[in-house]
Amino acid sequence: MAVSRHDGKAAQDVLRRVGEASVLILISLADGPKHGYALIQDIKELAGVELGPGTLYGALDRLERLGLIDALPADDRRHPYRITAPGAAALRVHLDSLERVSAAGRLRLRLGGI
Amino acid sequence: MPAAAGGQVSGAARTTRLVETALRCYPARWRRRHGDEAAELAALLIRDGTPPGSIAWSYLAGAVREWLTPRPGRRLSAVACALLVAAGSVGVSAGVLASTVPARAAITNQGSRFVQCRPGPSEPVPDVIAAPGRPRVISWTAGHGQSC
Repeated sequence: MAVSRHDGKAAQDVLRRVGEASVLILISLADGPKHGYALIQDIKELAGVELGPGTLYGALDRLERLGLIDALPADDRRHPYRITAPGAAALRVHLDSLERVSAAGRLRLRLGGI
Repeated sequence: MPAAAGGQVSGAARTTRLVETALRCYPARWRRRHGDEAAELAALLIRDGTPPGSIAWSYLAGAVREWLTPRPGRRLSAVACALLVAAGSVGVSAGVLASTVPARAAITNQGSRFVQCRPGPSEPVPDVIAAPGRPRVISWTAGHGQSC
């Protein structure tokens, strides 16, 4: 059963306004730490989106400020990043929300006979 | 072929310079943190076939965002201030031009000196200094060069 958005108990979707790049980065980091180049490659593979390096670093800084990811000690010149526990929780809430919207959209398409 | 090799070297140097220039546009704090890694990432992406221009453009746009993003404890930076002042100057100049042209045209065409005035606000306005003994009135037909 889907959790109602209006029941007051559903966690707040902090990722709603951070932008697609940030969400894709969190999804990419969900299975383990990655550095910038690996993130760009992984996101290209999983979503078909090619993040520009400027967009990548902007999103990484924003996510780090929000405490959703951590920078690990530099490996050579590259900083790997990992998702934090609040980051994983925020991603879960956001994906649940997307799932609800997606299900509603599909249902309406069916009802509309389109 | 030496000429071709020279061309490739100069092309690579130009590409590197382009990306380095874009990276220099970031604040020093950002460069200390990400500078080396960002340069290496650019090299890897270029090696993979990403056009250097698009990488430089992405970094340039990122640098603008970085300067304009407010940080806790950081006041509006000098560059952001300069951008705001420049934008303001352009806006003011455009406003002055836009208001001057119709007023001049009206004076030229009508030949009369009809000026429509409205009374000013009842509260004192810091930028408006009332002349002693004269009511504070703001003219709404800017550019005619006279006060009411």
